[in-house]
Amino acid sequence: MIERFLALIPRRVGGAAPIVPERSVAGRTLLLMITIMSFLSAVTLGGVVLVQKSAIAWSSDVGREVTIQIRPVQGEVMESNLRTAVSLAQATPGVSGARALTLEESQKLLEPWLGAGLDLTAIEVPRLVVVQLADPVDADIEKLGRDLEAVKGASLDTHAAWRQQLNTMAGTIVFSGLMILALIGLATMLAIIFATRGAMATNREIVDVLHYIGASNKFIAGEFQGRFLSIGLQGGLLGAVAAVLFFMLIGTAAGNMLSNQASAQFGVLFGRFALGWDGMFGIILVVPAIAALTAVTSRHTVRRYLSQTS
Amino acid sequence: MIEFSDVGLRYGNGPEILKDLTFSIEPGSFHFLTGPSGAGKTSLLRLLLLSLKPSRGRVTMFDEDVSSLTQDRLLQMRRHIGIVFQEFRLLDHLTTFENVALPLRVLGQPESEYRPNVTELLEWVGLGERMDAPPSLLSGGEKQRAAIARAVIARPKVLLADEPTGNVDPELSSRLVHLFAELNRTLGTTIILATHELPLLDQFPYPRMLLSKGELVIHD
Repeated sequence: MIERFLALIPRRVGGAAPIVPERSVAGRTLLLMITIMSFLSAVTLGGVVLVQKSAIAWSSDVGREVTIQIRPVQGEVMESNLRTAVSLAQATPGVSGARALTLEESQKLLEPWLGAGLDLTAIEVPRLVVVQLADPVDADIEKLGRDLEAVKGASLDTHAAWRQQLNTMAGTIVFSGLMILALIGLATMLAIIFATRGAMATNREIVDVLHYIGASNKFIAGEFQGRFLSIGLQGGLLGAVAAVLFFMLIGTAAGNMLSNQASAQFGVLFGRFALGWDGMFGIILVVPAIAALTAVTSRHTVRRYLSQTS
Repeated sequence: MIEFSDVGLRYGNGPEILKDLTFSIEPGSFHFLTGPSGAGKTSLLRLLLLSLKPSRGRVTMFDEDVSSLTQDRLLQMRRHIGIVFQEFRLLDHLTTFENVALPLRVLGQPESEYRPNVTELLEWVGLGERMDAPPSLLSGGEKQRAAIARAVIARPKVLLADEPTGNVDPELSSRLVHLFAELNRTLGTTIILATHELPLLDQFPYPRMLLSKGELVIHD
């Protein structure tokens, strides 16, 4: 099947047979190696895109909301303080809405720690006001913070620490991914250099004959570069297709293995395994990048080899 | 066309392989280069092919001193020299036609341009029916005729042949040398044919260059 697929890729313009043989052990090994390397590159790139998209989406969701917490203070009426806090929030520029959580809602938030079915009416629990921001950039959060100083026991949580930590973590993952990409690129270059030198040694007879009939080093390098460009394109394409299939498979598997509710929660926390068009575009870009890397590296290696041997 | 003056050749710090060679080759001539194995025939051919530079003395080819040639000029001059090897050195993954067309492809000619010439030459050397066959399916004589065709397709001024009859029987050897003679007569190509088969030399009236222990003993 792979052979039939490869046959669809145009190998050479014009009818003349390639001077460097298309099928050789070195060529097949290089094709396999480049396929693996481009698969790893594409998966790493896709992973980086997924992490970045999830981090941006999460940060954006969290950033559109701030919370006012009102602790119970002796001598203060909680309901009155809640109303004051809500009205102060609603009067703040850039705020689209503010709502105090009911006592039941507040108790529900404590259920994971205290368990269900407890009567908490005897205990005074802190109450929360959820403030929705129309535009996180333009909202005057500082003014809201100053205004809330008038409400005893009130504090404002902008989730800034969470967002910063999330951004730092996402940034670290993206940076690590890019480092891995660079290392894969370097490893690919080294492998191409060794494969090229091996191919040159294997095809020494061809190089000698070409020299004897008056071919320049430039011509010979061009012939070998054409061969390696073809291998790079084929390997890059196979690796990219495998990576796209991999993401489709993982996305489908994640959807099937988890219940709808778990899947939704998983999606909220870690994002969905959907690359989107930008991710796909990145993976498609791996193909010409790998092909160019192969062609440039092999050309340089061939010319160096020829200048050393001729 | 070719002039050697007090030419010596040694590989690295080894002994001199060729010593005090002085001779000239006229355009359109045919020379046999002969001598026992190890006499230096192949080394002399490599000097003539410009793949080696002399350790001493002066080599002039096509009115230019080869010691002062740039790499590009050397390449241009090499394109005026054809070479035929004893072991044929055809590329097995190409057809006979593609092997013969190789020098023209190297020169950048499109296939539409060189196809008629290559076909005509292959028919002339008797390989018209074997054009699409790979070298592995050719007989020894056919391989050597293909190698000769490849060497002359770009119309070189000089054709060098290193023991071209070494892998074929005596009858075929004679026919191959007749083919070289025909090329010399019809195209005017200067031919230097190295062989150690003395009976073969006696069949043709061409001058001989006899090498012995790196020295040119006879040049008639």
